[in-house]
Amino acid sequence: MARSRAQLSDIGESRVAWAGHLRHLAMGILKPSAAVGLALLIGAGVIWAMGEDPIFAYQTLFNGAFKGAGNFVATLQYTTPLLFTGLAVSFAFRAGVANIGVEGQMLFGALAAGIVGYTISAPHFLHVALAMIAAAVAGAVWAFIPAILRARLGVNELVVCLMLNPIALLLTGYFSSYPLKAPGPTNKTYDILASAQLQQFTNSAQLNTGFILALVLLAVFWVIENRTGKGYEWKLVGQNPLFARYGGIGVQKSIIGAFLVSGMVAGLAGAEQVLGVYRAFYNGFSPGYGFDGIAVAMLAKNSPIGVAFAALLLGALNSGGIVMQMMTSVTRDLVKMLEAVIILLLAADFAITSFKARRKVAKAGTAGKSIGGGQA
Amino acid sequence: MVNSVEMRGIVKKFGTLAANNNVDFSAGKGEVHALVGENGAGKTTLMNILYGVIAPDEGSIQIDDRKVHIGNPAVAIGLGIGMVHQHFKLVPSLSVAENIVLGSEPGSRGFFDRLAAMRQVAELADRFALAIDPMATVQDLPVGLQQRVEILKMLYREAKILILDEPTAVLTPQETEELFRTVRNLTSDGKTVIFITHKLNEVMKVSDRVSVMRAGRMVATLNTSEISAAQLAEKMVGRSVLFQVQKQPSEPKEVLLEVKDLRVMSNRGLEAVRGVSLQVRAGEIVGLAGVQGNGQDELVEVLAGLRRSTAGDVLLRGSSSKDFNPRQVREAGVAYIPSDRIKVGLSLDAAIWENMLLGYHATREFNRGGLLDVGKATSFARELISRFDIRGAQVGAPVKSLSGGNQQKVVLAREFSHGRRVIIADQPSRGVDIGAIEFIHKQLVAMRDRGCGVFLISADLDEIFSLSDRILVIFHGEIMGELAARDATVEEVGRLMAGVNRRGGDVIG
Ligand SMILES: Nc1ncnc2c1ncn2[C@@H]1O[C@H](COP(=O)(O)OP(=O)(O)OP(=O)(O)O)[C@@H](O)[C@H]1O
Ligand SMILES: [Mg+2]
Repeated sequence: MARSRAQLSDIGESRVAWAGHLRHLAMGILKPSAAVGLALLIGAGVIWAMGEDPIFAYQTLFNGAFKGAGNFVATLQYTTPLLFTGLAVSFAFRAGVANIGVEGQMLFGALAAGIVGYTISAPHFLHVALAMIAAAVAGAVWAFIPAILRARLGVNELVVCLMLNPIALLLTGYFSSYPLKAPGPTNKTYDILASAQLQQFTNSAQLNTGFILALVLLAVFWVIENRTGKGYEWKLVGQNPLFARYGGIGVQKSIIGAFLVSGMVAGLAGAEQVLGVYRAFYNGFSPGYGFDGIAVAMLAKNSPIGVAFAALLLGALNSGGIVMQMMTSVTRDLVKMLEAVIILLLAADFAITSFKARRKVAKAGTAGKSIGGGQA
Repeated sequence: MVNSVEMRGIVKKFGTLAANNNVDFSAGKGEVHALVGENGAGKTTLMNILYGVIAPDEGSIQIDDRKVHIGNPAVAIGLGIGMVHQHFKLVPSLSVAENIVLGSEPGSRGFFDRLAAMRQVAELADRFALAIDPMATVQDLPVGLQQRVEILKMLYREAKILILDEPTAVLTPQETEELFRTVRNLTSDGKTVIFITHKLNEVMKVSDRVSVMRAGRMVATLNTSEISAAQLAEKMVGRSVLFQVQKQPSEPKEVLLEVKDLRVMSNRGLEAVRGVSLQVRAGEIVGLAGVQGNGQDELVEVLAGLRRSTAGDVLLRGSSSKDFNPRQVREAGVAYIPSDRIKVGLSLDAAIWENMLLGYHATREFNRGGLLDVGKATSFARELISRFDIRGAQVGAPVKSLSGGNQQKVVLAREFSHGRRVIIADQPSRGVDIGAIEFIHKQLVAMRDRGCGVFLISADLDEIFSLSDRILVIFHGEIMGELAARDATVEEVGRLMAGVNRRGGDVIG
């Protein structure tokens, strides 16, 4: 009797849960899509105001991103660094760590890869591996500064990261312009040896095996986040540190660990650029991949699968934007604007939902706040 | 009797689960109306609908015989409805007066008139005989007074219908008495009070009528004077309920947990525990009675490895555990049910299985070389859900989708399920229904009989008396006395809790 009741309710419940999962999934896809759609609409308004045909502009953008093998390869090339940086940021977010210092960590990773790339000689695979390890370590070292400040002294990592990014740019710039500068007009280090190069797929573009590595890394991180004890700990610390501590999880260690792992991924972003694209460390090579990573992570809702799609979207906008700039009078700045609008919308949504949630809980407490004045 | 609230045919579904299934509810002007029912019966949902927090799928609401549509809490407040939720929503850093007037501040042209606010609040407190210091900062107040601030906030907005969702769950017996006095004052003033509770003696004591919900339906509305607590319990759960767990006299064996002359500082840098010594043996339940804020929290946190002591020692089975971290405490066989499930005991956004796994995610049972055995963890969770009868629970759903009492059962299920020897239960049945209390109490006694040592901390004297083999009373961080549960009386414990010594009658502290 009791059992049959339990079974009956089980069936009902699993249906509820399914509906819940689906709704959750739908909202997870819907909201970012809506943000992108709205941003495109606003962009259309701007294009129209510039006296151009928005439909034609978007068409060239889309074709420029996807039509033909060459364009598509270019899109993937733009996507690759964003896969790394997006993953680095989203992994950190999930663990309750706002690592917005990915840009700086990436720069140090790139410099380290560049140095190892020409200072030692080793067989191909080993050389690449060593350069990558150096990059990951360099990224982690730079991430250790905000990590230790946050974990030990409770210093807000946002502020520290924001300050460390320009410092990283200036420091790596100094090294590549003075002590490590290769002879010649540009501020860059010596070219890396052939044995340290990541294989490019075609002669005309710089898409390289780093792209494959990024996809593998995404899969690995999916497993780490969803199927390992560490991933479980990171997630709980991100959600409720008091609960994690009560359960015997070392919260400080977890925060430091998450920061270091995030920094390592950021460092690999730099390695891919140096070993696969530029073949040397160039001062100021990054147009802000680390910052775009924040946008990718926000679109991705902190999941590695989401990172893949979000990075592809931003990659396509960037690579299609170049074609659009050539074919119309709309410049690439439009793409930057679209990105900014998307982030703004998502951030606003985040603010609204967390406000709503707070309100929902607060009910009596805050509900009267907005209307009370009118009533009195 | 004039009905001030009338809800008809209320339906609210979450997915396919009907939290409210064609519910009728009415409350008269000037009455105290108790609303009871098991965890997850739909009480909070019904009241959230009345307060405009949740929109019903079907049904109509009348306030003072006028049909109304309550789209949000602002409308409810405009109609004179106020609600105090179980978890208060005050701004801790603001003063009492500022909290009360927040949202309808006195002043002109956008300037806040602080003096006027203080004066108005003082007058209001005076009128309803709710003594409070308008200038005190909310975070410094005990829970009972914070609740008073919430009630004053409703009164300030001239609420005529006051909804209190489990107001006594966090109160001491004394604070509860004061709340009841307030409630009676309010109803004699013509206000309607709707009162959700799991404590049937409170229903009998304070209410005029009582409505019983079960599984989303309204099963009965009765005059309190015409029913007994036992009959009410039966209506609630559909079977008779034991109010007093049956247990054999204890047979204490070796000492499992020993505290020696322990001293602990509070967050505010005051000595909260001042030389406490106690023992918990295998096969006994030791109850720690005391008014909240007398050092219990600090003591328990040290035992759980969450706080460091300044002097003294804690021994688990004879060896010192004073410097253990929470993981080591757990590994030494200690189960700990924290008093605050929302802040500490659960991660509301995590799935039910993830909450049940906490503390064991690194054990060989669920973790092979760093990889989690998710299948095993979910089937383990599924087993606990059915063993502990956690209603509405789906392993993959977040814990926050459960009703309050069922959330508590998730904590219990986790802490009771790994063969641990020492159980520290801090307010284990806070906010759970009588059926579940019976279940929890039976479990604690069964654990005791299996040779566990149980250390029970509770502000609820009924719970202390019905479970404990020995009773310790704490006051101002010191143990005032120890009594064998057999010959202890409520009066005596009450006296000790107030710091009145057995013999002399002088107040210590
Ligand atoms: N937002 C929600 N989403 C899904 N299900 C919900 C939601 N809110 C409540 N429920 C479900 O509706 C049912 C009724 O919940 P409600 O909170 O009204 O119970 P309750 O009678 O107040 O219980 P308790 O005494 O434990 O507080 C429960 O099964 C609960 O899991
Ligand atoms: Mg409730």
